[in-house]
Amino acid sequence: MSVDVFQRRPAAARPKRSWFVRNKSAIFSHSIINFFLLIILLPLTWVLMMSVKSMPDAMRGNFWPRKFDFTHYAYVLQKIETLPVNLFNSIYVTAATVLLTTLFAALAGYALVHLRPRFSGILVAALLISLYFPTRVVSIISVYEIQSFLGLINSTAGLILPYITLNLAISILIMRSVFQLVPHEVIEAAKVDGAGNWRTLWTIALPMARNGLVVVLVVNFVTAWGEFLLGATLTNDQSARTMPVVLAGAQGGLGQWTWPNLAAVYVIVVAPGLIAFTFVQKLFFKGMNEGVGKG
Amino acid sequence: MTIRKEQEYILQEAARQQLLQGSIDRREFLTRSLVTGLGLAGVGTIAKFGISPAFAQDRPLTPTFYQWIQNLHPGIPAFNEQFPDVNYQIAPVEGFGIERFVAEAKDKESTWDVYVGQTPFVEMSAMIAADVIEPWDDYIPKDVLDDIIPSIREEGTINGKLYGWPFLLDVIGNSWHSGITTKAGLADKAPETWDEHLANAKAIVESQAAPYGATFDNHGWRCIAPMAHSMSSDTYTPEGLFNFESDAAVEALMLMKKIMALSQPDILLEGGSDGGVNGTVDELAFAAQRVGYITKYFNAPLRMAAYWDDPKALHLGPLPKFSNGEGSTVFWTTGCALFKHGKNKEKAAEYIKALTYDAQIWKDSIAGTDLGRPGHLPPYKSIYAGWEADKPDWMADFVPLVRGQLDRAKAITNHLFGLQQFVIGKPLWETYLKGEESDPRAAMKRVTEAVQAEINRG
Amino acid sequence: MADIKQSGQMARSRRLASNTVRRPRGHWASQFRKSLGSWVFLLPALIFFVGYQVYPIFRVLWMSFTDYQALTNEPANWVGLDNYKAAMSDPLMWSSLGRAALFTLMFLPGTIILPLLLAILVDRVKNPWLATVYRVVLIIPAVIPSTLVFVLWKWMYNFQSGPINHFLVETTGLFTLQNAPQWLGGTALTLPSIAIMEIWWGLGYHTIFFLAGLAMISKDLPEAARIDGASEWKVFWHITLPGLAPIMMILVILRFGTAMAVIDEYLIFGGFNRASPTYTWTVFMYEQAFKIGLWRQGFAAAIGMIGAAAMMCVMLVLLRIFRPKG
Repeated sequence: MSVDVFQRRPAAARPKRSWFVRNKSAIFSHSIINFFLLIILLPLTWVLMMSVKSMPDAMRGNFWPRKFDFTHYAYVLQKIETLPVNLFNSIYVTAATVLLTTLFAALAGYALVHLRPRFSGILVAALLISLYFPTRVVSIISVYEIQSFLGLINSTAGLILPYITLNLAISILIMRSVFQLVPHEVIEAAKVDGAGNWRTLWTIALPMARNGLVVVLVVNFVTAWGEFLLGATLTNDQSARTMPVVLAGAQGGLGQWTWPNLAAVYVIVVAPGLIAFTFVQKLFFKGMNEGVGKG
Repeated sequence: MTIRKEQEYILQEAARQQLLQGSIDRREFLTRSLVTGLGLAGVGTIAKFGISPAFAQDRPLTPTFYQWIQNLHPGIPAFNEQFPDVNYQIAPVEGFGIERFVAEAKDKESTWDVYVGQTPFVEMSAMIAADVIEPWDDYIPKDVLDDIIPSIREEGTINGKLYGWPFLLDVIGNSWHSGITTKAGLADKAPETWDEHLANAKAIVESQAAPYGATFDNHGWRCIAPMAHSMSSDTYTPEGLFNFESDAAVEALMLMKKIMALSQPDILLEGGSDGGVNGTVDELAFAAQRVGYITKYFNAPLRMAAYWDDPKALHLGPLPKFSNGEGSTVFWTTGCALFKHGKNKEKAAEYIKALTYDAQIWKDSIAGTDLGRPGHLPPYKSIYAGWEADKPDWMADFVPLVRGQLDRAKAITNHLFGLQQFVIGKPLWETYLKGEESDPRAAMKRVTEAVQAEINRG
Repeated sequence: MADIKQSGQMARSRRLASNTVRRPRGHWASQFRKSLGSWVFLLPALIFFVGYQVYPIFRVLWMSFTDYQALTNEPANWVGLDNYKAAMSDPLMWSSLGRAALFTLMFLPGTIILPLLLAILVDRVKNPWLATVYRVVLIIPAVIPSTLVFVLWKWMYNFQSGPINHFLVETTGLFTLQNAPQWLGGTALTLPSIAIMEIWWGLGYHTIFFLAGLAMISKDLPEAARIDGASEWKVFWHITLPGLAPIMMILVILRFGTAMAVIDEYLIFGGFNRASPTYTWTVFMYEQAFKIGLWRQGFAAAIGMIGAAAMMCVMLVLLRIFRPKG
């Protein structure tokens, strides 16, 4: 049961006042929210406009072009053949990374809080320290050595392994702090009822930690979806690459990658993600709207 | 480990070929790739698919190109059809491949056989030091070697050996927007001297034909070096570094300051370019049709003119001279390097020879296609001689002009710090351009010291 | 920390007791089974963590004590603290570290406070349809790959044709083409410009974080406080904010770490110009490791270690600030 501040105001009790006065605070907060949404959306609308501008208009700062040119989409879809393959690569690498990392983080977070093996304190400290360590850049050579040893150079699926580690530490720490909110008594009670560790985690602890799971999913999705440095270093074939790497090669605006073409690809890349997201958003935000206390 | 890698590679490659031939579908290809990717556990599974004969084969010739080369020359994949068994690969962004090359060379192996994208003064010395590449001399045909324009051959040569087989030639020149110059009442011809260049730029600003008169690219190898060469190309120290304290270099610096007064205000900035390679501030001003003249290698204005209302308004000309100067300029080639630990070296020479002589690539580069007009020129004497003897109808005026400059133009001397000296020096010589230091020689002295300090670190 | 440990021990003893009750076996065997069970849970994460995170760090640490040069094939020699001495006495080390800290100062407050504010507002939206729309729009920038965010803001900030300068010069006439702001490329405005870009990128994403945190706070407590006459501000300060502390700690720590170690943006927007504010210790390290001379990665590793050590010190302070009270 949520309490809404807007209703709490005494004004609500006096319906004679004008609508604006009654909803002053609501209007105020909605305007602030919408102002920020505008800031988020305006640059993206600019890209959308860029993708339908004629070449000379692309070099002018006007929002509305003098002359529209809708051919850029057809051009990039016909002339840039690897585009769907790269998009597919990005999707499956990201999906695998997100699922595996979340699974590993949930297992580890649960073990750290409710099983408490020896030396777990050291492990937590190590995870914390690793957050501050800018390994990403310096470790490229080392990661390359490992991947090469495993025979995973130029393998798109092989990217999943280093990708899992990108946010593993923070994911475990998030899951740990979320599982800390699950009372030990609940876990103990389940065990007394005869449930093993796996069943306790799966049926009792995880549903109660749904919020944390969502956060972990989001963190990992964002990182894996946009990763560039490792993707560029560990793959060689254009057809083995993920979308960000391909686009990084294009941002100089060379040859066929003129600004309107680049903007068209931009829209093509971002749109499916957004559409897919609006479909799953219900599941996605549901976990957040449900309070932990309900369990 | 090496064997593992080879096996994985061959399996992957075999699956890829089958996919291309249509004997397996995309889903199966992905399954196989996935299994291969998962390592040894997969080898047994894959062997069942009956592609074990693939093990017996050697890998095909495997060149790697930079993405931007294919972006500028989209005809390369079509050219590759002449070599159906070549495993053509692309490196995404300039600079990102080299760590890989070095790391592999340490293990005495190389995923690739040829690297197309090497600019000698930028990276050749480093690649040799790291034992990544070997000379072409044992593989390049003698007649090809002798066909390379002498100054270009010198550029790719270290200790008498040809480490860089030249491909795409860039020469620094001077280009203008004739719509703007005409509006300013100027004749449609290239300024011969820097004084004329400055006077024209001033006329543009004063007549308000455009907000800015002239611009240049602020990266040292694209501004201070060619401008110094236009005075004298003898501006290098005995160990091969650019002599920032030479008269020519100091004159160039003073010239830059004069041009700056007539240029866009952000001329010294990195802008939003990708590490200074493309989309530099001067290019953007030129593309936005706000500046009359640009001093740069020709593919830049050719690309930028595509954004104009009338791309035909672009005219290209040689670099202006100092009235007492020798009138040289700077050129570089983007060429091909042979991996020491690669394979198929004879085949590589055969492929690169065909590539660099390919008539279609040169025609597309000069005349342009609907995919763009890079304006890169070939490195061989015979090609220019052929065009001179029988001029094709698509020939552009700037080609003979650049060819003429090449007899005088000079590449930046190869050195481990060939590129880096300009990167280190830039903020220091800019103290003079920004007016923080009034004495150009004092600024240049600090550049020399900073470069030397960085070299001494090692 | 101490009380967590204590409750953990209590739980362990309780669990042990229940185990013994359930399966009366030998004490030793049960102990072994228990710890085995928990390590099975930890193993997958551990393998990845050690392989791709711990090992590279130690390899870099080792490098920092050697004269390892990537471009030569000579074996690396142990040089003790020489690299550290050289880096410490280099003014570039300190100026570049200072620049990273400056960026962090510009970026961190905005990227925490704005989303916090926004989350509190969005959390109170009662219309479910509107609440969903808000959340979906908020998350949009987060699903845009980093390279595309850079492309986007390069367009935004472009001096000649960007909409921001177009607005300032053509639309409002506040500036001319000679004195319009130069956002990117190494001016004083570059770090704030990048900070704005990063705040934009993380705005919705961090709001979602805080929304997750707000969902965890019981709604009864603020309600009770309000009935008792507590002001909105007091409710925020004494109930909401402490409730969000764990999420805030994670965010501050995470973003402090990323802000201090930013590199891609600096390479793309500032290059290797040592006078540029974007030449931070990460760029210094990258230049030494992959760009200059013989790629002296031993020296570069020392730069990295010093930068990391400096970050660790700040982290300790942050951890103290966010230490659970009471």
